[in-house]
Amino acid sequence: MTSIYNFKRIAPVPESTDFLDIVLSKTQRKTPTVIHPGYKITRIRQFYMRKVKFTQETFDEKLRQILEEFPVLDNVHPFYADLMNVLYDKDHYKLALGQINTAKHLIDAVGKDYLRLLKFGDSLYRCKQLKRAALGRMATIMKRQKDSLSYLEQVRQHLARLPSIDPNTRTLIVCGYPNVGKSSFMNKVTRADVDVQPYAFTTKSLFVGHMDYKYLRWQVIDTPGILDHPLEERNTIEMQSITALAHLRAAVLFFVDLSEQCGYSIQDQMSLFASIKPLFANKPTLLVISKTDVCTLDAVRPEERQLVESACDSNVEMSQLSSYLDTGVIETRNLACDKLLLQRVEMKLKGNKVNSVLNKLNVAQPGRRDTVERPACIPTAVLERRSRQDAAMADGDDRPVLERDLEATNGGAGVYNIDLKKRYLLASDEWRHDVIPEIMNGKNVADFIDPDIEEKLAELEREEERLAAEGLYDSAEESEDEEERRIRDVARRIRQRKQVIANESRVKDVNRATLTNKQKAAASAPEDFVNHLQQLGLDPEAAASTAQRIGRKRGRSESRDPAVLLARSSSLAARAVSTQRDRSTMGLKNARQKTVSDKKKLVSQRQMNLMARAGESDRKIGMKMPKHLVTGKRSIGTNDRR
Amino acid sequence: MPQNEYIEESIRRHGRRMDHAERKRKKEARKVHKDAAFAQKVHGLKAKLYNKKRHNEKIQMKKTLKMHDEKNAKQKTDDAVPEGAVPAYLLDREGQQRAKVLSNMLKQKRKEKAGKWNVPLPKVRGIAEDEMFRVVKTGKSKTKSWKRMVTKPTFVGDGFTRKPPKYERFIRPMALRYKKANVTHPELKATFQLPIIGVKKNPQSPMYTQLGVLTKGTIIEVNVAELGLVTTGGKVLWGKYAQITNNPENDGCINALLLV
Repeated sequence: MTSIYNFKRIAPVPESTDFLDIVLSKTQRKTPTVIHPGYKITRIRQFYMRKVKFTQETFDEKLRQILEEFPVLDNVHPFYADLMNVLYDKDHYKLALGQINTAKHLIDAVGKDYLRLLKFGDSLYRCKQLKRAALGRMATIMKRQKDSLSYLEQVRQHLARLPSIDPNTRTLIVCGYPNVGKSSFMNKVTRADVDVQPYAFTTKSLFVGHMDYKYLRWQVIDTPGILDHPLEERNTIEMQSITALAHLRAAVLFFVDLSEQCGYSIQDQMSLFASIKPLFANKPTLLVISKTDVCTLDAVRPEERQLVESACDSNVEMSQLSSYLDTGVIETRNLACDKLLLQRVEMKLKGNKVNSVLNKLNVAQPGRRDTVERPACIPTAVLERRSRQDAAMADGDDRPVLERDLEATNGGAGVYNIDLKKRYLLASDEWRHDVIPEIMNGKNVADFIDPDIEEKLAELEREEERLAAEGLYDSAEESEDEEERRIRDVARRIRQRKQVIANESRVKDVNRATLTNKQKAAASAPEDFVNHLQQLGLDPEAAASTAQRIGRKRGRSESRDPAVLLARSSSLAARAVSTQRDRSTMGLKNARQKTVSDKKKLVSQRQMNLMARAGESDRKIGMKMPKHLVTGKRSIGTNDRR
Repeated sequence: MPQNEYIEESIRRHGRRMDHAERKRKKEARKVHKDAAFAQKVHGLKAKLYNKKRHNEKIQMKKTLKMHDEKNAKQKTDDAVPEGAVPAYLLDREGQQRAKVLSNMLKQKRKEKAGKWNVPLPKVRGIAEDEMFRVVKTGKSKTKSWKRMVTKPTFVGDGFTRKPPKYERFIRPMALRYKKANVTHPELKATFQLPIIGVKKNPQSPMYTQLGVLTKGTIIEVNVAELGLVTTGGKVLWGKYAQITNNPENDGCINALLLV
């Protein structure tokens, strides 16, 4: 069960020194750390302003978290508010939180001030000093919160250990003098393991346990014992019980120990009951007489008995129990629970909320439309069966035999095994108990089960027969005619040829010197050509005649033979007129003169080369200051970059 | 569901584990080594923090040890030489004294010395004008630069009226104006935050005095009415001089020493 009041989620509050370490090292981790005096001053300022701002924000965030997480006493249920007041002192608690709040504001102010000062920082040193001063002042403010922080941490630890009591649910409160058996009862009815000892004030704080009654979840609160004295004199332990009694709407079980083993007389106990009775107003109350194994109501003196009985009135009922003997415990619990439940229902009915629900409820009663009877339709078979059963009932053999009866007669549950195959619908009843093999011929039988298989097979066979009768399967003798065969043959040869060409090109060595097409043609004999044409299936005769006609030799060239030609070419050198001579050597006597003249030529050309002239005659003067290169604005780059 | 003092309750019911004391003892014994290992391993900011903490602890430890030692440490004194004839075997003995008394005396002396104050800062560092002022450029094309902004904390009296901003030569930023100073009374050894009445003298230059610049060594007048000081004649003092002892532009606050 979850309660709204769960104080276990409050984050731990660090000590002031730890707090500082956490915040400052976070600043160190999360802000840049490298800065040099050479940086622009704006950058330096920004660097330190960031540090100051970050530290201030971290402090702010951490303190805000504390302020938000701790419950505000005015906002929690009065029971918890009062309990916290009793345990932690309201003033102290508020003061601590208030101080934290003040510290938060102070730190914010410091951060703001120093950011303003940093704006006027004109050197790295000054900025750094200002940052140091800012962090130092923040740290000083935090150091002053040492006591508040440690107090809040203690409160947090205690709060987290408070029992999670839901103030609004069904609750039984067990109260009474110390050592009268409250915790024993608690241990009996719930699973809460409260310590029980034979001395007073064993239970020093509230304990909560849970139980189920009428399918509802109930909480039982065990309170520390209370003594009979004025409210002002009560100590913290007693005040917790008083708080619970005062603020929780619950059934109260006031325990009385008639045996006086607890060390307090019956008069004392009854006077306590009378004095705290105002707290029981509007609460179902039970006066529980405990330890009946030691002393019952009948065994006490009459005047005391009178005292006890006089305490019971319309609002207060008496109940007796003994946790030791386990008598009356459950009865007492049930009585208390019933009374509380009744009261809660009454309260709800009195309240406004119930009206809004009741308004929505409407039980409609339809009126009769006409006089026509519209009885329920019952099948005749059912009617027959019913009448048969009725007859059987009248005979004494009242009802049909059920599987349950069979089970009962055949040895009961666990012995009788139900016969599931009994009602199988098969062609023959004898097959019912036959064992179906799971595997047959290495195959799973279940895979082949098809109830309509026979039907389908028959269908298929019939169709087959029909088709056969129609002559669908008669193989038609297709005669391959002449034309088609020829085409196929040609195609086959083309394919073969292609294969051969591909293979040849594959084995061809490309690194070998190859003849050009012209040379190849020159080298090839006319017979090759004829062969080739034959292979291609063309008429070689016609082609040969055409070739002869085109390439007919002229008369003169016919007579010349290669020997004559060779003789002509060898005599070429002797013919001075028609050959071109090397002019570079003309007019020079020997090789030495040639080298000298070459050198001179180079020297004379040097200047022209330097001036990038084409020759002696090249006197061109180019543009010296091209306008587009030297005028206009220059934003980026130099002139020669354009 | 655990509630209230469930840990203590559990210990009370079931006791601690058998070797609890042993484990505790061992853990304690091991702690020294663990700390040493940590001290060697740690680096960076964590190391700085850790070393500082450890240093302080050590100082505290040594002080405690010394205090214990002082109780029974003996020291020699010259004047307590025994009078009269002394047997030879006692000749080299000198008078001894409890160290504690001596140290107390020393402390007393130091205290007295600390109480004597001269003019606290007789000398100050010179501050050039370009450190003191930032040039503010004015004019439509930002060419004029006759305006100055003071970059140090200043005191501006209540009655100050600004010139028309256009003609104002010196700007004293609001962010750098101070009205209060933390003044230490050297005899009372107490510090009070007192309102500043005026700047008596800035040793840097009379102009700074006029501008009310607060730098280190500046003599300011503070309102000491809060302190309730009276003259020998019985008049209540309210204005008193104090000298600034810190660099206000670096610290963001003004610390001063009352001149008595």
